[in-house]
Amino acid sequence: MSSLRRFLLVSVLSALMLVNFIAALHGYRSSMVEAENLFDQKLTAMAVQLSSVPLRTTNNAPAPDDENMVFQLFNQDGKLVWHSVHAPDQYIAANEGFSENNFNGYRWRTLSYFNFVNGHRIMIAERVDLRYQLAESVILQSIVPVVLVLPVAGLLIWLIIGHGLKSLAILAGILRRKAADDLSAVDVGHAPDELMPVIDSVNSLLRRLTASFDRERRFSADAAHELRTPISAIKMHLHNLRDEYGKDDESLLNLDRDVDRLAHLVEQMLLLHRTTPDHYPAKFEPISLAALTREIIADRYTDFVSKDQSIELFGDDGEVNGDRFALGILIQNLLNNAYKYTQQGGAIQVKIDTLKNAVRLMVIDNGPGISAEAQARVFERFYRVGGDRHSSGVSGCGLGLSIVEHIAELHNARISMANGEDNTGLVVSVEFPLATSTIELKRSITLTGYGERK
Amino acid sequence: MVIKYRLSVLALSLLSSVYAFAGKPEFELTIRQHLFEPSIIVIPANTKIKLWVHNEDATPEEFESYELNREKVILGGQRSVIFIGPLPPGEYPFFGEFNPKSAQGKIIVE
Amino acid sequence: MLLTSVIIVIREVLEAALLVSILLSLCFQLGIERSWFKWGLLGGIAGSIGLGSQLGYISNWFDGVGQEVIDAGLQIFIYICLLYICVQFINHFYKRHPLTNVLRATLIIIISCAMTREGSEIYIYLSAFQSLPETGVSLYSGSAIGLGIGFSCCALFYYWLLSFSPSRALLVSCALLTMVASGMMLQAGKMLIQADLLPDGQLWDSNSLLPEDGLTGQLLYALAGYEATPAPAQLIMYSLSAACMATVMLLRYNSWRKQKVAEEIS
Repeated sequence: MSSLRRFLLVSVLSALMLVNFIAALHGYRSSMVEAENLFDQKLTAMAVQLSSVPLRTTNNAPAPDDENMVFQLFNQDGKLVWHSVHAPDQYIAANEGFSENNFNGYRWRTLSYFNFVNGHRIMIAERVDLRYQLAESVILQSIVPVVLVLPVAGLLIWLIIGHGLKSLAILAGILRRKAADDLSAVDVGHAPDELMPVIDSVNSLLRRLTASFDRERRFSADAAHELRTPISAIKMHLHNLRDEYGKDDESLLNLDRDVDRLAHLVEQMLLLHRTTPDHYPAKFEPISLAALTREIIADRYTDFVSKDQSIELFGDDGEVNGDRFALGILIQNLLNNAYKYTQQGGAIQVKIDTLKNAVRLMVIDNGPGISAEAQARVFERFYRVGGDRHSSGVSGCGLGLSIVEHIAELHNARISMANGEDNTGLVVSVEFPLATSTIELKRSITLTGYGERK
Repeated sequence: MVIKYRLSVLALSLLSSVYAFAGKPEFELTIRQHLFEPSIIVIPANTKIKLWVHNEDATPEEFESYELNREKVILGGQRSVIFIGPLPPGEYPFFGEFNPKSAQGKIIVE
Repeated sequence: MLLTSVIIVIREVLEAALLVSILLSLCFQLGIERSWFKWGLLGGIAGSIGLGSQLGYISNWFDGVGQEVIDAGLQIFIYICLLYICVQFINHFYKRHPLTNVLRATLIIIISCAMTREGSEIYIYLSAFQSLPETGVSLYSGSAIGLGIGFSCCALFYYWLLSFSPSRALLVSCALLTMVASGMMLQAGKMLIQADLLPDGQLWDSNSLLPEDGLTGQLLYALAGYEATPAPAQLIMYSLSAACMATVMLLRYNSWRKQKVAEEIS
C-alpha cells in the first residue's frame, strides 16, 4: 500500500470491473436464452404452417430453401412426401419436440411436430451455429460498451481520487517546502473534515514551538538587559577599590579585564537580539560602503597602529540600500575580527567591487586563516575557533559573526568565506544585491511566504 | 519422502501401462467443422479404452468432459490419444471447449 | 463465442493470478523486494508462446501423451518450488535477510511455470480463432471480460491479504499456498490418469452440489483444485502433498519457536 492513490484506483476499479462484468455476463446469458426462445417460437410457427399445407400429390417437387433451414413433411402413413432441397432422406429429428442433431456436416436445432388435424408430421431444422451467431451479434452490441468504457472509468477514477486527495497533496507540499526556521501556521484552504485534525495538531505544534523559541530569545535578551545595571555597579565599585588598593594590584587588574569581557558579552547579546531580522526596525537608505568603512577605520585607527598592522581601503564607492547603524556594526565586526586574529605587523585590506547585480565588500587579511570545517561553524552562536583556548589568546564571546549574519540576512546579502591567496589569511566577502533588486527580492520573498499561507 | 513415493508410483504405473497396452479396445472420434463424428460412442463397461481423436479442422479443439475428468488440446490436423475408463454403465457427455455450441457428444457405457 | 472466451480465459488466469497475488502480498508483508515479479511475468509470457507454439510437437512425445506428462511435470515442479518457498518465508519471518539469489530465482521460476501452463492454452485459443472474421469482437471482448474478472478478483484478494498483520498474513498465506500447491498435485494426478500412468476411478460426484463449471466452482478450482468427480489416486496425491507441506512448515515453525524461547531464556 505504498501509494494511497494507486491503492484506491486499483481497488475501486477492480470492484467496479468485477461487478460490471459479472452483471454483463449475466445479462448476456439471459439474453441468449431469450433469443433461443424467440428462434424456437419462430420454428414452431413455421412448423405449424408447413404441416397444414394441403398435399395434392405425393410427388411434390422439393421446396427450395436456403441452407440455414431444412424441413421434411410426412403424410398420415409416415411417408416422406415433401422436403427442402438439402434435407437428407433419413429422419432429421430423433425425438418428438425440440432436440439437437448432427447432419449435413452441421449441428441443427430440430423440431418434430405432429399435426393432429391432418395427421401430418413435420420435421424442421435450423443451423445451431447461425442461430447462435445471430443472437450473439445482437447481444454483443450491449456488452462491448461495458468493456470499452472501463479505461474511461479508470481515468475518471484516477482524476477524481486525485482531486479528493488534493488537500493532502497541498499539505504535503507545504510541509516539504517549509524552511527549517519557518514556524508560521499551515493553511491548506478548504480542507476536508478528515484532514482538519492533522492540520490543527500541526498548527498547534508550530504555535507551541514558536512560543518556546520566543521565550528562549526573549529570556537571553532580558537577562542581558537585566545584567547591564549590576555590571555598571560592579565597574564603579571596582574603580573605587583600585583607588583604595592602588592601580597595580594584580588581582584587581584581572578582575577589571574579566568585567570588561562580561560587559562586552552582554552588549553583544543585546545587539544579536536587536539585529534579528524579524524585529529589527530597519530604515533603508542609499549608503556608500566606502564612506562608511572609511569612518570606521578612522575610529579604530589607533588599534591597528598599536598592533603595527597596515590597513588599506580600495575599490569602488559601492552604494547599497541599507540601514546605516546595522551596516556599521557589520563592517566593525568584520574589521574587529581581522584586527584580533591577524598577527603583529599583518596586513588588512578592504576591497569594494561593483559586480553585475551586486556590490561586494571583501575583508582580506594575511593572518592564520580558518580550516574548512571551522568555516562552516563560525556563524553559530558562541562558537569560537579552537574553543576557549583560542591560539591568538584574544578574548571574544563568539557572537560577532552571528550578528554579521543577521545583518546580512536583513539586507538579503550573501556571506562567504574563503582562504586567501597562496592559502594564507582569510577572505570574508559580503555580496549586497544592487539597490533596485533589493526591493524586488524583499517583495518576492514576502509574496512566496504569503502564497504558501494562502 | 513423498516425492520418492510418487516417483515409484509413476515408475510402476509406467511399467503396468506398457504391459496392458495391447489389450485395450480402441475407438475413433473425428472432429470435422467443429462437430464430433460420431457424436455418440458406445463403449463396454469396466474396461479401459483408448480413444483416438482426429481433428480434421484447421483450428484447434480442446476435448473436455467434467464427467470423465478429461481435458486435452488437439491442434488442427492432429491425431491424439485419450485413455478413458474403466467406467460403470451410464452416460458421459463431452464437448469441445473451443466450440461448445456445436462440438458436443457423449459416451454411453454399457 | 463470448462466453467460451470468458470461461477459457478466467479458468487459466485465475489460478496463476491467485498464486501471484499471494506471493506478492506475502513478500510485501515480509519486506522482501519484489523485482522478481516482472522477470517472472516476462518468463511466463515467453513460456506461454513457446509451449503454445510447440504443443503439436510435444503432444507426440511418450506415445502421444506428451502434453499430459509435461503438464503434470510442471505442476509437480511448481509444488516442490512452493514447498521450498514456504519454508524460506517462515525463515524470513523470524530472521530478516536480503533476498538471496536462489530464492529470487525460485520465485521467478514459479511465476514463469504457472503462467506458462495457463498461458499456453490462451495463446493457442486466441491465435487460432482471432483470424476468423465472425469471431473477432466476441473473442476479444470475451477475453477482456475474463481477464478483467480474473485480475479484479486477484487485486481485491491481494489487498485483503495486505490488511492482515505480518504474522497472521504468514499463516493465511502459507495455508493458501498449501491449498494451491496441493491443488496443483491434484491436477497433476488428473493428467497422469489421463495419460494412463495412474489408475482411474471416481470417488464421488458433487456436481449437483457445486458444479465445477460455475464461477464458484472455478474459483475453488483455482484456489484448492476443486474437482467434482475425483479419482482415488488424485485424492491420495492431494492429501499426501498437503500433509507433507503442512508437516514441513510446522516443523520449521516449531524449530524457530524453540530457538526464540531458548534465546529469551539465555
